Amino acid sequence: MNQTLEGTELREQTVLDSPWITLVWNDPVNLMSYVSYVFRSYFGFSRTEADRLMLQVHNDGRAVVATGSREEMERHVEAMHDFGLWATLQKADA
Amino acid sequence: MIPFAKTETGSYVAGFTDVETEIIADLAAQIAGMLRSLVGSDDPLFEAVGIGGTSLLNDDPAIARLLPDAYGEDAVASGDFRRLTEQSLATRKVANARTVIDTLARSDESLELSGQEAQAWLRTLSDIRLTIAARLGIESDGDEGDTDSDSALALHDLYDWLAYVTESLLDALDD
Repeated sequence: MNQTLEGTELREQTVLDSPWITLVWNDPVNLMSYVSYVFRSYFGFSRTEADRLMLQVHNDGRAVVATGSREEMERHVEAMHDFGLWATLQKADA
Repeated sequence: MIPFAKTETGSYVAGFTDVETEIIADLAAQIAGMLRSLVGSDDPLFEAVGIGGTSLLNDDPAIARLLPDAYGEDAVASGDFRRLTEQSLATRKVANARTVIDTLARSDESLELSGQEAQAWLRTLSDIRLTIAARLGIESDGDEGDTDSDSALALHDLYDWLAYVTESLLDALDD
Protein backbone atom coordinates (compact mmCIF):
# COMPACT_ATOMS: atom_id res chain seq x y z
CA MET A 1 0.00 0.00 0.00
CA ASN A 2 2.65 2.40 1.08
CA GLN A 3 4.77 1.46 -1.90
CA THR A 4 1.92 2.03 -4.32
CA LEU A 5 1.26 5.50 -2.94
CA GLU A 6 4.89 6.44 -3.13
CA GLY A 7 5.10 5.17 -6.66
CA THR A 8 2.13 7.30 -7.70
CA GLU A 9 3.58 10.41 -6.08
CA LEU A 10 6.87 9.86 -7.81
CA ARG A 11 5.26 9.55 -11.23
CA GLU A 12 3.18 12.69 -10.76
CA GLN A 13 6.19 14.64 -9.61
CA THR A 14 8.18 13.44 -12.59
CA VAL A 15 5.47 14.53 -15.00
CA LEU A 16 5.17 17.97 -13.37
CA ASP A 17 8.86 18.69 -13.10
CA SER A 18 10.22 17.02 -16.21
CA PRO A 19 12.37 17.35 -17.99
CA TRP A 20 15.63 18.10 -16.25
CA ILE A 21 18.91 16.48 -17.19
CA THR A 22 22.13 15.53 -15.44
CA LEU A 23 25.26 16.29 -17.43
CA VAL A 24 28.69 14.85 -16.73
CA TRP A 25 31.56 16.95 -18.09
CA ASN A 26 34.96 15.86 -19.29
CA ASP A 27 37.90 16.44 -16.97
CA PRO A 28 41.57 15.63 -17.55
CA VAL A 29 42.00 13.90 -14.20
CA ASN A 30 39.54 11.07 -13.66
CA LEU A 31 40.44 7.83 -15.41
CA MET A 32 38.20 6.56 -18.20
CA SER A 33 37.89 3.26 -16.35
CA TYR A 34 36.80 5.13 -13.22
CA VAL A 35 34.13 7.16 -15.02
CA SER A 36 32.77 3.97 -16.59
CA TYR A 37 32.80 2.25 -13.19
CA VAL A 38 30.86 5.15 -11.62
CA PHE A 39 28.24 5.00 -14.38
CA ARG A 40 27.83 1.24 -13.89
CA SER A 41 27.88 1.18 -10.10
CA TYR A 42 25.75 4.26 -9.45
CA PHE A 43 23.29 4.34 -12.37
CA GLY A 44 23.26 0.60 -12.96
CA PHE A 45 24.18 0.91 -16.65
CA SER A 46 25.52 -2.12 -18.50
CA ARG A 47 29.21 -2.03 -19.30
CA THR A 48 28.43 -1.29 -22.95
CA GLU A 49 26.16 1.65 -22.10
CA ALA A 50 28.53 2.96 -19.42
CA ASP A 51 31.48 2.82 -21.83
CA ARG A 52 29.43 4.54 -24.55
CA LEU A 53 28.52 7.42 -22.20
CA MET A 54 32.08 7.61 -20.85
CA LEU A 55 33.44 7.92 -24.40
CA GLN A 56 30.83 10.56 -25.19
CA VAL A 57 32.04 12.56 -22.18
CA HIS A 58 35.62 12.09 -23.29
CA ASN A 59 35.11 12.92 -26.98
CA ASP A 60 32.29 15.48 -26.91
CA GLY A 61 33.16 17.10 -23.59
CA ARG A 62 29.91 16.07 -21.91
CA ALA A 63 27.07 13.56 -21.89
CA VAL A 64 23.52 13.43 -20.56
CA VAL A 65 23.49 10.58 -18.07
CA ALA A 66 20.00 10.99 -16.60
CA THR A 67 16.66 12.68 -17.26
CA GLY A 68 13.86 13.28 -14.76
CA SER A 69 12.63 15.58 -12.02
CA ARG A 70 14.75 18.42 -10.72
CA GLU A 71 15.02 16.81 -7.26
CA GLU A 72 16.15 13.53 -8.76
CA MET A 73 18.79 15.27 -10.89
CA GLU A 74 20.03 17.20 -7.86
CA ARG A 75 20.55 13.88 -6.06
CA HIS A 76 22.47 12.50 -9.04
CA VAL A 77 24.67 15.59 -9.29
CA GLU A 78 25.49 15.41 -5.60
CA ALA A 79 26.34 11.71 -5.95
CA MET A 80 28.63 12.50 -8.91
CA HIS A 81 30.37 15.18 -6.82
CA ASP A 82 30.87 12.51 -4.14
CA PHE A 83 32.79 10.50 -6.73
CA GLY A 84 34.76 13.56 -7.83
CA LEU A 85 33.10 13.73 -11.24
CA TRP A 86 32.17 17.14 -12.59
CA ALA A 87 28.38 17.12 -13.06
CA THR A 88 25.66 19.74 -13.42
CA LEU A 89 21.90 19.77 -13.91
CA GLN A 90 19.75 21.96 -16.10
CA LYS A 91 16.42 22.02 -17.87
CA ALA A 92 16.49 19.71 -20.88
CA ASP A 93 15.54 22.53 -23.26
CA ALA A 94 18.04 25.05 -21.83
CA MET B 1 52.83 -1.77 -4.05
CA ILE B 2 51.23 -5.19 -4.38
CA PRO B 3 48.08 -4.58 -6.49
CA PHE B 4 44.61 -4.97 -5.06
CA ALA B 5 42.98 -8.39 -5.33
CA LYS B 6 39.52 -9.57 -4.35
CA THR B 7 39.47 -12.27 -1.66
CA GLU B 8 37.09 -15.22 -1.39
CA THR B 9 35.19 -13.41 1.35
CA GLY B 10 34.63 -10.36 -0.86
CA SER B 11 37.20 -8.07 0.71
CA TYR B 12 40.00 -6.31 -1.18
CA VAL B 13 43.64 -6.83 -0.28
CA ALA B 14 46.73 -4.88 -1.33
CA GLY B 15 50.25 -4.34 -0.04
CA PHE B 16 51.90 -0.97 0.48
CA THR B 17 55.41 -0.23 1.71
CA ASP B 18 55.81 1.91 4.82
CA VAL B 19 56.74 4.91 2.68
CA GLU B 20 53.72 4.42 0.40
CA THR B 21 51.44 4.04 3.42
CA GLU B 22 52.80 7.25 4.91
CA ILE B 23 52.35 9.15 1.62
CA ILE B 24 48.73 8.08 1.09
CA ALA B 25 47.79 8.73 4.73
CA ASP B 26 49.42 12.15 4.57
CA LEU B 27 47.59 13.09 1.35
CA ALA B 28 44.26 11.91 2.77
CA ALA B 29 44.92 14.01 5.87
CA GLN B 30 45.58 17.01 3.65
CA ILE B 31 42.22 16.54 1.92
CA ALA B 32 40.48 16.35 5.29
CA GLY B 33 42.37 19.41 6.50
CA MET B 34 41.54 21.40 3.38
CA LEU B 35 37.81 20.75 3.81
CA ARG B 36 37.69 21.06 7.58
CA SER B 37 36.73 24.73 7.62
CA LEU B 38 33.68 23.88 5.50
CA VAL B 39 32.57 21.06 7.75
CA GLY B 40 32.46 23.01 11.01
CA SER B 41 29.49 25.19 11.81
CA ASP B 42 28.77 27.56 14.67
CA ASP B 43 25.12 26.74 14.70
CA PRO B 44 24.46 23.27 16.17
CA LEU B 45 21.01 23.22 14.57
CA PHE B 46 22.49 23.66 11.11
CA GLU B 47 25.09 21.04 11.84
CA ALA B 48 22.41 18.54 12.87
CA VAL B 49 20.69 18.69 9.49
CA GLY B 50 23.81 19.22 7.42
CA ILE B 51 22.85 22.66 6.16
CA GLY B 52 25.09 25.70 6.23
CA GLY B 53 27.64 25.69 3.41
CA THR B 54 28.91 28.77 1.65
CA SER B 55 26.94 30.23 -1.23
CA LEU B 56 29.75 31.28 -3.59
CA LEU B 57 32.02 28.96 -5.48
CA ASN B 58 35.11 28.54 -3.32
CA ASP B 59 37.96 30.36 -5.01
CA ASP B 60 40.70 27.93 -4.05
CA PRO B 61 40.85 25.96 -7.32
CA ALA B 62 41.29 22.61 -5.56
CA ILE B 63 38.31 23.12 -3.24
CA ALA B 64 36.28 24.53 -6.13
CA ARG B 65 36.94 21.35 -8.09
CA LEU B 66 35.99 19.07 -5.17
CA LEU B 67 32.80 21.06 -4.50
CA PRO B 68 31.74 22.37 -7.93
CA ASP B 69 28.65 24.36 -8.88
CA ALA B 70 25.62 22.12 -9.45
CA TYR B 71 23.94 24.44 -11.95
CA GLY B 72 26.22 25.29 -14.86
CA GLU B 73 24.54 28.53 -15.89
CA ASP B 74 22.45 29.56 -12.91
CA ALA B 75 24.54 31.15 -10.17
CA VAL B 76 21.53 31.75 -7.90
CA ALA B 77 20.35 28.13 -8.06
CA SER B 78 23.94 26.97 -7.56
CA GLY B 79 24.27 29.16 -4.49
CA ASP B 80 21.02 27.82 -3.02
CA PHE B 81 22.03 24.24 -3.71
CA ARG B 82 25.47 24.85 -2.23
CA ARG B 83 23.99 26.21 1.00
CA LEU B 84 21.86 23.07 1.33
CA THR B 85 24.41 20.42 0.34
CA GLU B 86 27.99 21.67 0.53
CA GLN B 87 28.53 20.96 4.19
CA SER B 88 27.27 17.38 4.00
CA LEU B 89 29.26 16.75 0.81
CA ALA B 90 32.42 18.07 2.47
CA THR B 91 31.63 16.02 5.59
CA ARG B 92 31.35 12.83 3.51
CA LYS B 93 34.64 13.60 1.77
CA VAL B 94 36.36 14.12 5.12
CA ALA B 95 34.83 10.84 6.40
CA ASN B 96 36.16 9.02 3.30
CA ALA B 97 39.64 10.45 3.89
CA ARG B 98 39.42 9.35 7.52
CA THR B 99 38.53 5.81 6.40
CA VAL B 100 41.66 5.76 4.22
CA ILE B 101 43.80 6.92 7.15
CA ASP B 102 42.19 4.47 9.61
CA THR B 103 42.43 1.45 7.31
CA LEU B 104 46.10 2.20 6.63
CA ALA B 105 46.76 2.61 10.36
CA ARG B 106 45.26 -0.77 11.23
CA SER B 107 47.11 -2.68 8.46
CA ASP B 108 50.52 -4.19 9.04
CA GLU B 109 51.84 -6.23 6.12
CA SER B 110 48.73 -6.09 3.97
CA LEU B 111 45.80 -3.73 3.71
CA GLU B 112 42.37 -5.35 3.73
CA LEU B 113 39.27 -3.33 2.81
CA SER B 114 35.57 -4.12 3.06
CA GLY B 115 33.41 -3.21 0.08
CA GLN B 116 32.33 -0.01 1.81
CA GLU B 117 35.89 0.95 2.70
CA ALA B 118 36.93 0.32 -0.91
CA GLN B 119 34.28 2.87 -1.98
CA ALA B 120 35.72 5.44 0.42
CA TRP B 121 39.19 4.73 -1.00
CA LEU B 122 38.03 5.20 -4.61
CA ARG B 123 36.48 8.57 -3.80
CA THR B 124 39.44 9.81 -1.78
CA LEU B 125 41.91 8.72 -4.46
CA SER B 126 39.89 10.80 -6.93
CA ASP B 127 39.77 13.77 -4.53
CA ILE B 128 43.55 13.58 -4.01
CA ARG B 129 44.28 13.42 -7.75
CA LEU B 130 41.86 16.30 -8.45
CA THR B 131 43.65 18.37 -5.80
CA ILE B 132 47.11 17.59 -7.18
CA ALA B 133 45.89 18.41 -10.71
CA ALA B 134 44.54 21.76 -9.49
CA ARG B 135 47.88 22.54 -7.84
CA LEU B 136 49.77 21.61 -11.02
CA GLY B 137 47.38 23.54 -13.27
CA ILE B 138 46.16 20.50 -15.21
CA GLU B 139 42.87 21.86 -16.52
CA SER B 140 42.10 20.13 -19.79
CA ASP B 141 43.04 16.97 -21.68
CA GLY B 142 46.66 17.07 -22.78
CA ASP B 143 47.75 19.67 -20.18
CA GLU B 144 51.22 18.90 -18.89
CA GLY B 145 50.80 21.18 -15.91
CA ASP B 146 53.64 22.74 -13.97
CA THR B 147 56.93 20.87 -14.56
CA ASP B 148 59.30 23.69 -13.59
CA SER B 149 60.51 22.46 -10.23
CA ASP B 150 61.62 19.24 -8.59
CA SER B 151 58.62 19.42 -6.27
CA ALA B 152 56.25 19.75 -9.25
CA LEU B 153 57.90 16.75 -10.91
CA ALA B 154 57.55 14.77 -7.69
CA LEU B 155 53.84 15.69 -7.61
CA HIS B 156 53.53 14.43 -11.20
CA ASP B 157 55.05 11.09 -10.20
CA LEU B 158 52.65 10.86 -7.28
CA TYR B 159 49.70 11.77 -9.51
CA ASP B 160 50.58 8.98 -11.96
CA TRP B 161 51.22 6.46 -9.21
CA LEU B 162 47.83 7.22 -7.62
CA ALA B 163 46.24 6.55 -11.03
CA TYR B 164 47.91 3.14 -10.95
CA VAL B 165 46.56 2.51 -7.42
CA THR B 166 43.08 3.51 -8.61
CA GLU B 167 43.25 1.22 -11.67
CA SER B 168 44.35 -1.60 -9.44
CA LEU B 169 41.41 -1.11 -7.08
CA LEU B 170 38.98 -0.82 -10.02
CA ASP B 171 40.30 -4.09 -11.47
CA ALA B 172 39.69 -5.82 -8.14
CA LEU B 173 36.20 -4.31 -7.80
CA ASP B 174 35.31 -5.56 -11.29
CA ASP B 175 36.69 -9.00 -10.57
